[in-house]
Amino acid sequence: MTAAGDVPALECAGLTKSFGGIPVLRGVSLRLEAGAVTALVGENGAGKSTAMKIAAGQLKADTGSVTVNGTGLHRADPGLARQLGVAIVPQELAPIEDMTVYENLFLGRELRSRTGLLDRRGMIADARHLLDEFAIDVDPTTKMRRLSVAMSQIVEIAKATSWGAKVIMLDEPTSAIPEREVARLYDVMARLRDDGVAMLYTTHKMDEIRAIADRVVVLRDGALVLDRPVVDTTDEEIVQATIGRDLDDLFPSVPAPRDDVALEIDDLHVVGFDAPISFSVRRGEILGLAGLVGAGRTELLEAIFGKRATVGGQVRVAGKPVKRSPAASINAGMALVPEDRKGAGLVLSMNVLDNGSLPRLAHFSAAGWLRQRHRRRAVGDAMTSVALRSRGLTQPTGTLSGGNQQKVVLARWLTEPVDVLLLDEPTRGVDVGARSEIYRIIAQLAASGMAVVLASSDMPEVLGLSHRILVLRSGAVAGGLDGDAITAPDVQRTIFHLAAGFDPETGEPEATPQLAKEHRS
Amino acid sequence: MTITTKDTDNTLRTVTASGGQAEPGVPGRFSGSWLREQLIRHAMVVVMVLIIAYFSYRSAQFGTLENWQTIAIAAAPFALIALGQTLVILTGGIDLSVGSVIAVSAMAAAATVKDHPERLLLAVLVAAFVGLLAGSINGLLVARLNVPPFIATLGMLTTASGFAYVIGNGAPINGLPPNFGSIANSTVFGIEVPVLVMIAGILVLAVVMSRTSYGMRVYAVGGNRAAAELAGIKVPRVLFSVYAISGLLAGLSGVILASRVISGPPDLGTAYELDAIAAVVIGGASLMGGRGTVWGTALGLLLIQTLNNGLDLLVVPEYWQNVIKGGLIVTAVAVDVWATRRRS
Repeated sequence: MTAAGDVPALECAGLTKSFGGIPVLRGVSLRLEAGAVTALVGENGAGKSTAMKIAAGQLKADTGSVTVNGTGLHRADPGLARQLGVAIVPQELAPIEDMTVYENLFLGRELRSRTGLLDRRGMIADARHLLDEFAIDVDPTTKMRRLSVAMSQIVEIAKATSWGAKVIMLDEPTSAIPEREVARLYDVMARLRDDGVAMLYTTHKMDEIRAIADRVVVLRDGALVLDRPVVDTTDEEIVQATIGRDLDDLFPSVPAPRDDVALEIDDLHVVGFDAPISFSVRRGEILGLAGLVGAGRTELLEAIFGKRATVGGQVRVAGKPVKRSPAASINAGMALVPEDRKGAGLVLSMNVLDNGSLPRLAHFSAAGWLRQRHRRRAVGDAMTSVALRSRGLTQPTGTLSGGNQQKVVLARWLTEPVDVLLLDEPTRGVDVGARSEIYRIIAQLAASGMAVVLASSDMPEVLGLSHRILVLRSGAVAGGLDGDAITAPDVQRTIFHLAAGFDPETGEPEATPQLAKEHRS
Repeated sequence: MTITTKDTDNTLRTVTASGGQAEPGVPGRFSGSWLREQLIRHAMVVVMVLIIAYFSYRSAQFGTLENWQTIAIAAAPFALIALGQTLVILTGGIDLSVGSVIAVSAMAAAATVKDHPERLLLAVLVAAFVGLLAGSINGLLVARLNVPPFIATLGMLTTASGFAYVIGNGAPINGLPPNFGSIANSTVFGIEVPVLVMIAGILVLAVVMSRTSYGMRVYAVGGNRAAAELAGIKVPRVLFSVYAISGLLAGLSGVILASRVISGPPDLGTAYELDAIAAVVIGGASLMGGRGTVWGTALGLLLIQTLNNGLDLLVVPEYWQNVIKGGLIVTAVAVDVWATRRRS
């Protein structure tokens, strides 16, 4: 490791940045040393991605400076940042899926032979050499599409090192990859650390900080609140720095469920799942669905809602069987808040009123005519009930903040009684403030008698709200927890072991969860 | 994020409703920059006014009532297919087949009248049916079989054109009874029937698109198909309906055109789909779907027809007319896109 006093590989000093008058970074200073791995932690909206983008020259800071190995990066110029040796691996990779691995590796700087044509043989040889260095067993002529997300990520990292990057930033590298592939990523990172590369990565998970980082840096509401060697920091300190208070304050208390069952799932066999799934949820109960990415949480919710094909089984709401279609599910009193708010929740080109009317168009029209006053009142009331902050019902939803968009997606169901509320990652991409508000709304809705199914990859969220938890693993229920098991101190470990298929006793994998990325598309 | 034309109006209302409150970025109501904002906001209207002013200045005949009637009559057949095209484009699709559907329904109507000279209503119904049938096939292909709209309607473009020639055995159907012309050439309340049909079509669809749940479903399917599905909207049904409506309107357009020339030329309507698409796009619709209005299409249609008419009056050679028209269409849309981006 480089001794203190040396020129740092990358130094940010006093970065500030505002978007549309809203401060995102309020004076962040950060040093990345060569040969060290730094974990950047923070809630959604804390400013992690913005800070990274500024350091990588994709955005210009309002004030403050970025210095790479002693040279200033004075303007937003990704090309210059790259010349200085800064690489960023974004959260959502954008490889050209139909091109091969080597074509992607050499994209934009293709090797040419003397005739001016592509030197494919040379590129393949170089690519193979590069992949060998990372001990990755991938043929460079494989189509990118066939690689898992983790492999694509490693190829992206390899690409950065191939042009001599000295600073590599990874935005949530583990968020989309299964546990067993995370280890490969760590191997690659360790190798780069030994080569003297400075690395920064964002993560939400405690065990990922411990696994590879030398230093941990916490951002909260755009300010740096913790910067320490990992070994000198406890989990508690990191959590507190991240959310600015104890976990308990973030989650409202939820009253005990009632006795009558609202949702019954009987042997529902989702296409692509190994086995049928059965469970029931009572009124006032919040059932958490936990599991790794690709475990089938989203698929199960969509199947319950009639959006995804099933080959058998039954869904009953308040005792009555529901036909398998979204329209029938809505009529039966079900509501779904999808994972992908912008992709599947809202019609961004429409305003709040129209989005609010969509799921219940039949209620808002008589013989096909929209009852304007009626829907304005009903949608207006629903939006007020969740304290939506907007310029009014006519504001296009595309211009709302993430938290407020999510409130629209949730509240649009509330114009009519809902018996079963299905929530998929309800706080993804939502800032801390709106997050606790959304938790409160969920708790209120449950208390009012809805049966809530909450699928989330955010463990504290599932633990903080649920009465009961089901853990899914590759399209099957791997286990369940309720009562005292949820409040037990090692509950996160228990859930993780269930989700990943590790035997809690030996730490050995019971079965390899096969998590193809096609599974999610 | 672009803001839809529809929402633009709403945004405008919101801003106006907030009165003189100085929101950042919203200039004061009566300042010069306010006027500039309005001009940019309604760039297409400004372009339209400029074009009308130019032709009025260059040709004394242009501004007369008779000439405007001529423009309206010429616009009518295009208006029907442009309206259908608007619905299709709002769902994110495209209907390339309308020109050929005009031809095949015109031929069907002509053949009907040839056999039954007195049965004009039957001819209209046959044309409407043929159009509806073609549109329904497009709709089935797109909605049920998930054939890309471009391909499905390209197939129909060729097939329908083929059938048009089949009906006439490769030749136009001539020698039709003169009363066939009464469909399109008679007047009601002093207004030509095609113009009435056009006005009714525009009004009905404008109301349907802004005031009914069906209209909202069309916008939702085009704006975000996945979200529409999860909101319980039966997306295939909506998709099917827009192609069926587009076909039906093309059928009516076909019988009007055939009646105007009292014959059945199998090449009738060739390339009309391009003008219809141009009208919709000039009207501010996005080919990605979800964005656009019936009024916008009407404006786009008026722009194209005014250009056709004005250039004729100025005796601009036909080839040059095309050059000018093409250039203006692209310019108008580029200005609109620029203005939209500036706004957001």
